[in-house]
Amino acid sequence: MNTPIHIPAIRFDRVSKSYYLQEDRTFKDVIPSLLLGKPWAKKHIVFHDLNFSIAQGETVGIVGKNGAGKSTMLKLIAGVTYPNTGSVVVQGRVAPLIELGAGFHHELSGYENIFLNAAILGMHKKEIELKIDEIIKFSELEEFIHVPVKRYSSGMHMRLGFSVAIHVDVPILLIDEVLAVGDRDFQQKCLNKLQELKQNKQKTIVFVSHNEEAVRSFCDRAILLEHGKIIEDGNPKRVFERYNKA
Amino acid sequence: MISIILRPFQSYKYLLLQLTQREIKSRYKQSFVGYAWVILNPLAQLLVYSFVFSVVFRFPTHDIPYIIFLYAGLLPWGLFQGSISAATQSLVENAPLIRKVNFPREIIPYSVVLAKIVDFLVSALIFIGFMIAFRVPFSSTTIYLVPLFFSQLLLTIGISLILSAGNLFYRDIQYLANLLLMLWMYMTPVVYPLSLVPTQYVWFYKLNPMVGILEGYRSALFNYPFEWTIISWSLAISCLVFLIGFFVFKKSDKIFADIA
Repeated sequence: MNTPIHIPAIRFDRVSKSYYLQEDRTFKDVIPSLLLGKPWAKKHIVFHDLNFSIAQGETVGIVGKNGAGKSTMLKLIAGVTYPNTGSVVVQGRVAPLIELGAGFHHELSGYENIFLNAAILGMHKKEIELKIDEIIKFSELEEFIHVPVKRYSSGMHMRLGFSVAIHVDVPILLIDEVLAVGDRDFQQKCLNKLQELKQNKQKTIVFVSHNEEAVRSFCDRAILLEHGKIIEDGNPKRVFERYNKA
Repeated sequence: MISIILRPFQSYKYLLLQLTQREIKSRYKQSFVGYAWVILNPLAQLLVYSFVFSVVFRFPTHDIPYIIFLYAGLLPWGLFQGSISAATQSLVENAPLIRKVNFPREIIPYSVVLAKIVDFLVSALIFIGFMIAFRVPFSSTTIYLVPLFFSQLLLTIGISLILSAGNLFYRDIQYLANLLLMLWMYMTPVVYPLSLVPTQYVWFYKLNPMVGILEGYRSALFNYPFEWTIISWSLAISCLVFLIGFFVFKKSDKIFADIA
């Protein structure tokens, strides 16, 4: 095991997080239901008193069924949502690998979207210009780079998005399930690239996936979530044994 | 406080620029005349209004040709209305981004307003052409357009921040906003001169901050006397609306990702 002994890159300290789920979205729906004495929204608890930390340079797989809280965990790390109580401390900038289409504008070309997407992830103009050739090359979209992305297949979207995110120079990378879309060759290429990043110990990578093979081959550690609780934490092999039993 | 307000223009300058470019570029892609719509749209509006109000109704506008009088009001009003209307929907349209990436959320409505300002500046060039064609002399008071424009921007952004955040909670806001903007236009001397407003209502009418701003523009352009009291009132209201808008927006933006 090569667990680095630095200060943690990510630390969850007694984190509780709940959402209010609104069933009625318009005044027309809300006012009658308020008059009938229904609460304006239902509370849904995702995490209650969650504690864990991830060290700098660690690669951690987050495993669990749908609705276990994996995405909420990533959102908390990315700083787009906040805990109700407790604290989430993150050292350094975070680049989420944006889900398909989120940072893209479909009318703009792949080339224009690289700049847009990279800017959203916090890159500056000079930085992007320096890396643009590398980004295009990695995405294997040279031929289509000046075509509007609405003409791209979902695999091509993913390749472009992944390629941008992987070239952003940030200490923490969040990867949410997106790898599932590319073809086998590109998936392998992404894993190789991630492996490379992992080797030089510069990046902390949090990886959400249902792909057992990918997590086991790539992550040092896995965390199994069930209904917002960590029920297993440690060696990916052991974690998956528990997961598969459940 | 000041540093929080300025943050989008410093650390996030490039993102703001990229999002503004996206607004401008994407709007007219796959259209035949492309960006020319920015000019064609207000021109067409101008022709319709000037037919109705100078041929049919005949509003008195002193020595200034009606079409110039109208353009001077319609152009900034168009910016005001267009910005608020587009900004109101902007957070909802960018919900996937809000759910994923952390950056100051006000950048999204700002980029929409900035894109509208670019459109406005292009149309303003046409207006200068009109001024020359109709031999309306340029006055030295034109410089007052700058602080007036700044006041209009503060008002626009303040309202945009409140409505865009509100629209995330209830989509009714965007429909309501468009309706109110239409009413607001007729409560403002855009197509008609202020002199037509009955004197007993004028003080009430002038509470609308856009009255002072539009009247100020016309005073600056056509060298009419400035009515400083209503201009100061407008400036004060604009600052207040901006501060309230910014405060409300910043108070609520922590839960945007949860409800978007």
